[in-house]
Amino acid sequence: MPWAGGFSAIDRKPLKPEVDIMTTKGILEIRNLGKAFPANGRKGSLQALDGINLSIRPGEFVSIVGGSGCGKSTLLRLISGLDDEFQGEISIGGAPVRGTSLDRGIVFQDLRLLPWLTAEANIALALENSGLSKADKRQAVAEHLKLVGLEKFAQAYPHQLSGGMSQRVAIARGLVNRPGLLLLDEPFGALDALTRSRLQAELERIWREEGITMILVTHDVEEAVFLGDRVIVMEPGPGRIRRELRIPLPRPRRRSDPRFLEIKEDILREFTGPETAEAESLEPAGRPLAEARLDWAA
Amino acid sequence: MSRSALASGSSIRFSPRPFAAGRAPAPVRILAGLVLPSALLLLWHNASTRGWAPPQILPAPAVAWSSFLDLLASGDLRTHVQASLIRVLISFALGSAAGLALGLAMGLSRRLDDLFGAVFHGINQVPTLGWLPVLIVVVGINDRLTHILIAQAVFVSVAINTQRGIRQVPERLVEVARAYRLSRTQSLRKVVLPAAVPQIFTGIRFGLANGWASLVVVELLVGSEGLGYLMSWGRQAFQLDLVLVAIVAVGIIGWILDAGLARLEGTFTAWRTGEAAA
Repeated sequence: MPWAGGFSAIDRKPLKPEVDIMTTKGILEIRNLGKAFPANGRKGSLQALDGINLSIRPGEFVSIVGGSGCGKSTLLRLISGLDDEFQGEISIGGAPVRGTSLDRGIVFQDLRLLPWLTAEANIALALENSGLSKADKRQAVAEHLKLVGLEKFAQAYPHQLSGGMSQRVAIARGLVNRPGLLLLDEPFGALDALTRSRLQAELERIWREEGITMILVTHDVEEAVFLGDRVIVMEPGPGRIRRELRIPLPRPRRRSDPRFLEIKEDILREFTGPETAEAESLEPAGRPLAEARLDWAA
Repeated sequence: MSRSALASGSSIRFSPRPFAAGRAPAPVRILAGLVLPSALLLLWHNASTRGWAPPQILPAPAVAWSSFLDLLASGDLRTHVQASLIRVLISFALGSAAGLALGLAMGLSRRLDDLFGAVFHGINQVPTLGWLPVLIVVVGINDRLTHILIAQAVFVSVAINTQRGIRQVPERLVEVARAYRLSRTQSLRKVVLPAAVPQIFTGIRFGLANGWASLVVVELLVGSEGLGYLMSWGRQAFQLDLVLVAIVAVGIIGWILDAGLARLEGTFTAWRTGEAAA
């Protein structure tokens, strides 16, 4: 019963915005994190994440890359607080993460703009409980529309916007509360290659200008290397961290840089080894291996 | 790089009505809508002039027309229409208000749904007029009977569809409300109700149509005014022209009522066509 769970989990009273210095400035610490989903129609459960340890400094850009079923989106949901049934610990600046917070923005894979609200109103929705005055809210919305280059489309409804523009609205909505941490769940997955690389550059600019910690989940290795200070490679069955690497390249990065290509190749090799084939076949609800490989080819 | 790239990205179509282009222009559509009624009128005319049916059973269109004019001039038509409209509007107001309230409650609370849901879906299977015999015994044959019966028809339809509309709000949108820590009221207003509006209106429109149709039947039995009464009276007096006038009036008024609701629905879902909400 998804609805009952969903709705009753909404707090009855608007909460005070959490302007906790600790949360904005602190280190995100993930200790021995595990997540199991009840398996449908079978005994036991499905281990989506197991033994995840990760710590992320304020202002860092971390890319998490992995094939389907490696639990990377689940990890993001746990950090966001949308799902708080897990084993282990997630804390920011020492304070455990419980429930959602305006200090942790999220950009969903499927955007989730409300079709009955204009671009402007969709962004303003995130500010409902920000504690800002009406005038300040209006200004914040206008500034963020400008930040993503959509000031002319404030009054447009989502169905009137192209995929790339909708994506920008979703990013503006994620940013408008000036969160200390922005979580991005495959934000550019549905876009054409040109728009994607354009928005990646755009995102990097915003990250540099705003100094926000960002965690990007993606299945696109190039995107992960292009944006991340660090790339976390995950593997499925159950979802674990397979490898972590620092990307020492200066920004803005060039995709044609030989060192860039070398790092990309290095990461891609993680997914073409014999071990991966085994892991893929262990994935309980996964897609056939050939299909999963196509993700990487893209 | 990014700025200029953005500017080129913003050259999208900004068409307010993406589907309007595929439809024929309004005059053509109106003419098309008149084809069938004209054919029927012609058939009716032929049937009466060639004597396919005796004039007592099928009066000529001209006779029906002149009865219509008489009814209009004498104010009788107005009295009957008014009587029916007042009945249906009172019942509709009561039924839809109560239906919305219970539908919202059942949509938002699993427990209430568990309590009432089964009974409701059972009641929904019984045609409105199926309650008539019971109600006649309980409240007698009077205006209260009409009000209760029609209000019940509207109530059940609105309650069930409101509940369904709220239950069907996608979890992914509810999560947006959670991510931004919206209160229950805020998420109801900004997320849940707008998402449920189309289904709620389905219930309201179906309820009113069903209520209007049932009203006419109840009026055949109850009261001394109303379009149903006019029909019943015309039949007893063997003045089928009156019956025909009443039938057409019922059809036209029912259609207008539904069109009014469709319009109201349109103001709630103006975003679909891109017009700014009222």
